[in-house]
Amino acid sequence: MQMAEMIGAAPVRDKLRALGIVALNGMFDENDAESVLRTAADELLTGELAVVSSFGADSVVLLHLVSQVNKDLPVYFLETGKHFDETLDYVETLKERLGLTQVEALRPSNADLARFDPNGDLWESDPDSCCHIRKTEPLNEALKQYGGWVTGRKRFQTSERGVLPHFELTSDDRIKINPLAYWGEEEIAAYKAKYDLPEHPLFSEGYKSIGCAPCTSAVAEGEDPRSGRWRGLNKAECGIHFDFNGRIANPVAAKHLTLFRDGKFIDDPFKEFEEGTDPASARYVHVPLPEFLAHRDAYLASPHPLGLLVSPGDKVEDAAADLKRFASIAIKFPAFTDGRGYSSARLVVERYGYTKEVRAVGDVLADQIPLMRRCGINALVVTHDATRKALEEGALAEVALFYQPVGATEVPAGTRPFLRRAAANQ
Amino acid sequence: MYRYDEFDTQFVKGRVAQFRDQVNRRLTGELNEDQFRPLRLMNGLYLQLHAYMLRVAVPYGTLSSRQLHKLAHIARTYDRGYGHFTTRQNIQFNWPRLKDVPEILDELASVEMHAIQTSGNCIRNVTTDQFAGAAADEIIDPRPVGEIIRQWSSIHPEFTYLPRKFKIALTGAPNDRAAVKFHDIGLMAQQNEQGEIGWKVLVGGGLGRTPMIAKTVRDFVTHEDLLAYLESILRVYNRYGRRDNKYKARVKILVHEEGIETIREQVEAEFAEIQGGVLTLPQEELDRITAYFAPLEFKPSNATFDLPKLKAENPGLSRFVMLNAHEHRQPGYTSITISLKPIGGVPGDATADQMDAVAELAKAYSFDELRVTHEQNLVLPHVAIEDVPAVYAELQRIGLAEANAGQITDIIACPGLDFCALANARSIPIAQEISKRFGTPEKQSEIGELKIKISGCINACGHHHVGHIGILGVEKKGTELYQITVGGDATEDAAVGNILGRGFIAEEVPDAIQRLVDKYLGERANDNETFIQVVKRLGQEPFKEALYANG
Ligand code: SF4
Ligand code: SF4
Repeated sequence: MQMAEMIGAAPVRDKLRALGIVALNGMFDENDAESVLRTAADELLTGELAVVSSFGADSVVLLHLVSQVNKDLPVYFLETGKHFDETLDYVETLKERLGLTQVEALRPSNADLARFDPNGDLWESDPDSCCHIRKTEPLNEALKQYGGWVTGRKRFQTSERGVLPHFELTSDDRIKINPLAYWGEEEIAAYKAKYDLPEHPLFSEGYKSIGCAPCTSAVAEGEDPRSGRWRGLNKAECGIHFDFNGRIANPVAAKHLTLFRDGKFIDDPFKEFEEGTDPASARYVHVPLPEFLAHRDAYLASPHPLGLLVSPGDKVEDAAADLKRFASIAIKFPAFTDGRGYSSARLVVERYGYTKEVRAVGDVLADQIPLMRRCGINALVVTHDATRKALEEGALAEVALFYQPVGATEVPAGTRPFLRRAAANQ
Repeated sequence: MYRYDEFDTQFVKGRVAQFRDQVNRRLTGELNEDQFRPLRLMNGLYLQLHAYMLRVAVPYGTLSSRQLHKLAHIARTYDRGYGHFTTRQNIQFNWPRLKDVPEILDELASVEMHAIQTSGNCIRNVTTDQFAGAAADEIIDPRPVGEIIRQWSSIHPEFTYLPRKFKIALTGAPNDRAAVKFHDIGLMAQQNEQGEIGWKVLVGGGLGRTPMIAKTVRDFVTHEDLLAYLESILRVYNRYGRRDNKYKARVKILVHEEGIETIREQVEAEFAEIQGGVLTLPQEELDRITAYFAPLEFKPSNATFDLPKLKAENPGLSRFVMLNAHEHRQPGYTSITISLKPIGGVPGDATADQMDAVAELAKAYSFDELRVTHEQNLVLPHVAIEDVPAVYAELQRIGLAEANAGQITDIIACPGLDFCALANARSIPIAQEISKRFGTPEKQSEIGELKIKISGCINACGHHHVGHIGILGVEKKGTELYQITVGGDATEDAAVGNILGRGFIAEEVPDAIQRLVDKYLGERANDNETFIQVVKRLGQEPFKEALYANG
């Protein structure tokens, strides 16, 4: 199942929705926090992800992770008007230190304040309503445009959060991402130490969970850190951790073409073939096989260097006699799951004895490259970053032993047990 | 049994190291799920409803006691204390953690096992007759050729991204116990006029949403040409199989749409190009592999079962012998089926303790050998007839002495809605209810051979199409319904069952089966005529009437 299919389509029924989230958690449950965040930012919710931070005692960890993944992610801070001055200073400190470019303060609406909290003491009589107008409402408004948001919540924080997963679906189909869900206090402390992250100024004074000034008190050693919030009131969660709405964007892949041959990336003399090119003037392009067959004489008469593009479904047999005319043959892999190119490559190399460049183009990924090579492909056009890196570092994960004689170079010498070969050095 | 040599060992280790790296890249997020999916699938790792599921290959269904002990250990250490044997002669673990999987694969490698190509669009684990090398009716032991095919198909670079999965099954006996006609390629051992042994090649069989019986593409292929012939078929399929619709991507659809003549022409043309090339199997290699399966050192014996005497002394054992013992080609020996279908249990499940105990039995009484059947049972292939009482006693102790092989309670059921993300309906509870309904020895003896197969959706992992009675879970307007077919047959007389009519809700299924059984009992010519024989003789109509008699 495509990931997009599972979670992107309009939910038909509850079971499907639930399954989407179950599957996401299944897939990413064991990933580390940065990977969860990166997946959300780059794959699941590209351009549709916001971060919400209280700039409290532990916020720096999440914000640091954000800065590692993408400094331009929008970060919302709830400026309730009730914060400690130290918190406001801390916002500035972290902005600067972490290089976050999109920190935005959200303020309650003046109309709401005038109507519900004219004296600024609503927190005392009705903290739920106070949180509602100072946090939930402004955040709701700001998050309308997003498909999901990142929180810094952790399982250990309160007993209700004991089962917090990495991904949660809100009732209106948006996703809450909790990269730190599994972190414990020790990991937080270690992370802060490792990156030498600045503490909230009040942390050292015994404030372990810091919210608005009137609702936060210091906690005693060993006490549940969040017990200092709303001390004495029967209120453990602030309204903003209940839900919001939106949809999921499709994953986007960055593209840049480069040719890898003979162990390095090199300049590619070939350009993309353009539909309608005059066969007489075409040069340094891979002519699609059907196009070549349609204008065979014209192409054969051309003095220019040309390549041939073999797409899945094309029969290389039809051009067998003319293959030698081409300086390069490109085998197209429109999707890495489409294996027809392996057969085409073997025919080109083994059956028709073509010895010049045979390149793979399209969806060329690290894990398929060893197979491509065995089928006779000797050059790769790579558009995938991690694959590029693996090639540059010579770090392809491959099995260096084969059971089948494949490709022009693998024909067994007859000295080994039938068919078995060790990989030739690439 | 085949034993890994240095090369095989290094190969599997290399593969584990490769997958370990891929898992790490997945856990750090370098690989996204779309990229990781085909890689994990090629290592047998599925994502199911609740967790990952690891499917381990049991090549051509053969296990040693050491291997079964290891599977027990894995079930205990990395899973919840049990494993599930499937209809593909595999074992599945339903609850491994992703990060443990490379460790599990290492453990498997230490006993010459792996999960390579147990899923994904590649050539899957080769399957064969569970009585291979033991059955009295065998023309040739299919395991050496099975092993050669296993090696040839392991990480075949050209055929790792096929349009769809590809399953090969072979039988060395004319009585087909491996359902070869329902595989993408089926191989049946043949003897030609010159007395040479080779293979009849069938292509395009399969179950799933469009069940098809394989068609013969060539009547006789020699051992020496077999790999080249297989490669030719695979190449035609890889190039021309449909990739636009995953439900039409199996080779059966290609054969169906193009016609077997066209496919034969293409395959023969390809074969003409590569015949006599590097894939030609040298006799020495066949001999070398065959040596691993050399005949065992059986004790000379002419012991036989004295059934009347047994019946008087130990009726339980006599029933067990009648149903679960299969004729061995060596006088004085028998093959014992260990049913993983205890009455009311989960078909195919075995606990770690049971696996350990069975492994000990294999060591003590069956030349250290075990088989896994596509009917989700285990087999002790070479038991001396005089040892059977001891084997039976031990099986009773561990709760695996059910005498029901081939009987109405020997039900194949897919995991269904209890585990499978694709399911429409539950399968296991239906199997359990039927099993309880007909579970007494008296009822079972009265009914005789009757194979019930249950799938939780049209993907047909429970092989319902070839059940004498097949049950298929469907979903209509939010309720689980079960459609019932009769007349399916997985043997050399292959047939696909017909749907009789509207579906039933779960609670109605046992009664529905009861009506079919009653009809059969009323119609049979004598006590020896089996359910499937009656269906073949009378057609489905009388059964349809019986099924829907009261509305
Ligand atoms: S934390 Fe306290 S002051 Fe801040 S918004 Fe909530 S109730 Fe009001
Ligand atoms: S038949 Fe359907 S429900 Fe059963 S295991 Fe296969 S896919 Fe799942």
